[in-house]
Amino acid sequence: MKKLLIDDDRYGTPPQSVLLEAVCNSVNDLVRRRFTDSALPWSQFVFSASDHLITQADFEGVEKRLLDTGYRFKWSAVISQRERPEIYCAADGAADDAASFSFDHPDALVGEPDAAGRAACGQGENVVRRPANAIGIARYVRSSERVIEFMNKGVPPGSIAIIDDSGGTLTAPILEHFAGIVCAGGTIRSHLGILAREYGIPCLMNAKVRRIRDGDRVELETSADAMTAEAYFTGEAKTARIWKLAP
Amino acid sequence: MSRPEISYSQLLETNNLIQNCGDETYWLCLTRTVQGSKLFPVSAYILLSYLNAFYRYPTLLRKIEASMPAETIADRARTMGMKIQNSAIGWALPNFYLLGREMLITFGMLRPQDALEDVVYVMDFWKRYLLSWHRNDGHLNNREYGQRAQILPDRRLEIFHRDLYLCEPGDALHEAAHSFLATASQYGFLISCESRISLTNSGPYRLDDRHEMIVRDFMDLGECALPWLDGVAADVPYNYLTVPMSVRDCHFSIVDDWGSFESKPEFTSDKLAGIGLYTSDALSEGFIPVGMASREELTATFQLLNEKMKEATRKLWLRIAGWTRDQMLDAGALTYYNIIKDLAHVAGVFAVEDWLTIDPRAERFRPLFNDELSDQLLGSLVVGHDLPGHRQSPYTMMQHSDRPVRTYTPLPYSVLAGDEYVASCGEPQSGTSHLVPKIDRYRTTQGVLTIDDYNRRARAFTPELCQDKYRFLCETWVKYHHRTPLAQDLYRLEQLKSRTLQGKGAGPR
Repeated sequence: MKKLLIDDDRYGTPPQSVLLEAVCNSVNDLVRRRFTDSALPWSQFVFSASDHLITQADFEGVEKRLLDTGYRFKWSAVISQRERPEIYCAADGAADDAASFSFDHPDALVGEPDAAGRAACGQGENVVRRPANAIGIARYVRSSERVIEFMNKGVPPGSIAIIDDSGGTLTAPILEHFAGIVCAGGTIRSHLGILAREYGIPCLMNAKVRRIRDGDRVELETSADAMTAEAYFTGEAKTARIWKLAP
Repeated sequence: MSRPEISYSQLLETNNLIQNCGDETYWLCLTRTVQGSKLFPVSAYILLSYLNAFYRYPTLLRKIEASMPAETIADRARTMGMKIQNSAIGWALPNFYLLGREMLITFGMLRPQDALEDVVYVMDFWKRYLLSWHRNDGHLNNREYGQRAQILPDRRLEIFHRDLYLCEPGDALHEAAHSFLATASQYGFLISCESRISLTNSGPYRLDDRHEMIVRDFMDLGECALPWLDGVAADVPYNYLTVPMSVRDCHFSIVDDWGSFESKPEFTSDKLAGIGLYTSDALSEGFIPVGMASREELTATFQLLNEKMKEATRKLWLRIAGWTRDQMLDAGALTYYNIIKDLAHVAGVFAVEDWLTIDPRAERFRPLFNDELSDQLLGSLVVGHDLPGHRQSPYTMMQHSDRPVRTYTPLPYSVLAGDEYVASCGEPQSGTSHLVPKIDRYRTTQGVLTIDDYNRRARAFTPELCQDKYRFLCETWVKYHHRTPLAQDLYRLEQLKSRTLQGKGAGPR
């Protein structure tokens, strides 16, 4: 078998991810085999020949070998799992917005209700410091179906969106109607954080929350200091609290 | 195959540009964003776009330059708000290409010296373009300038400044402008498939001790080069909108090569103190005021655009919600890959085959791009730096991370000592797309045109301010010649459509 240039890498070490290492090794093996079989010098193989000798079917084979081990991929876009559930981990209700669902982050700072019935149920990073805290009714928005429901029925006034998508597209048609946002991911520089600032919607990003269910009345400490780029760089924690309020 | 046509100085310069790109990419990706989307398979489409860029950019940039040099297009970029600014050219052009190259090196499909002349050419195009575009601030890019972009000349800034309508929180214009900016930003993220590449900002420019101005561009808004906007954006009347915006008691401390800004204190709408609105494109005589005849007209224009973009957002979201994963992958990959397509529009050589299809050499990798592998590979490429190719001598310390790694593999100087190399990856191959084909309808400032007509008009058009008579009348020249008839002509030409400065010329400051 011929060697590839990368086979003589003096400093290279495998990637940290086992999956990534497996795929890279598999593709490297594929290239080695095709190069050897071609009997061409590398200069003739690298583009003109390998463009045709290394095919989509070869890469389908790489995927198949991984799946044959029983491995199933984690998914990030709902469409990926819906179209090919056989190659992805089960959805486990991760895209649903059922009344019984609650984020359950292990690092959420939670507590019992105080005398006023206010119970800590997590914290996040404040996008913009505002004069007052935001108070409203929690509404999970985690699927296209939920977005369509709100498009058709309207977002109830005073709703706080509880989201795990830090992007700016899933909620695009309805975002402006929310009185507040809690996003269980991203940073204040994520697209959702940028949009919250543009719309002027109180927003906590990178939130770690527990015990919040759809319909709960919640308070976001949007009067807390905003997170900053310097704090991200130095690792300084600047958190704003989230409470569940008595109904 | 060894051809010593590349000099030592070319390699030195190319490697310097590559290293600059690598250092900046790490910083941008580490500090400026954390992205996730449940709608789009973002990492997967990004990786596909990088490969398409690697295989096609060299040839397509040469095709563009056969019609118009990079420096000439960049000079024109200062007269309009097309997608030939940041992040398109300032960051994406070289980095999409280099990230594709790094992927192929990781896979063992490429050696550092393969496609060597392509790499030298792409980086040289980028350097020439940026130096020309940034000629007023004298830097290669915003990174070199300490995260700042002062692109525009005095004569244009004076118009943007003097023609602003002042506004205060609570007044109708302020409210309409605020709503428009939010809606246009939201629409921008959606049309560009969960990326910020339809939005950019440049500046800041000092107005007085309490005010700064930033120039915001919203791009690819109408029925033009993105096929998924055919139909849904038929009522959006402009493809490019430029919004000069003055803010009070707020300093823009970062305007980066992604066109994103950061300010101290955080910019919020209550700091908005003045606003203007313009459109432009490859066929316009510079910036054309939109609704700027009166305060009331501007308020109404913002309100109208706001409604049209909200409606387009609703229609487009429903269209996207019905897409397959392959369609999402293609739309996202093409949005990223064709981020530099406006170079072809300005040069009058845009072709659907070039910019709206995936080359089969990139397409073949599609089965690898499941969500998990894509997230991990993308993370490793830009921030993790744990792929074998990233590793360097243990004595080295990368800028920002201090780790013995680098983002991009330099070109090896050993080719000058006789090591063989392959010059180019070759011509683009006939591509494919899972999307509905582009309708031959392109909204421009000269009306809705076919692509042949758009190209023909672009090739025949040179904005008056970019004619040879004016092109090299730079800021240094103006400083010492502002009383000359030629300087008066230059300023009056720029002022033709100004509400407040028309005919005033280059008066003393």
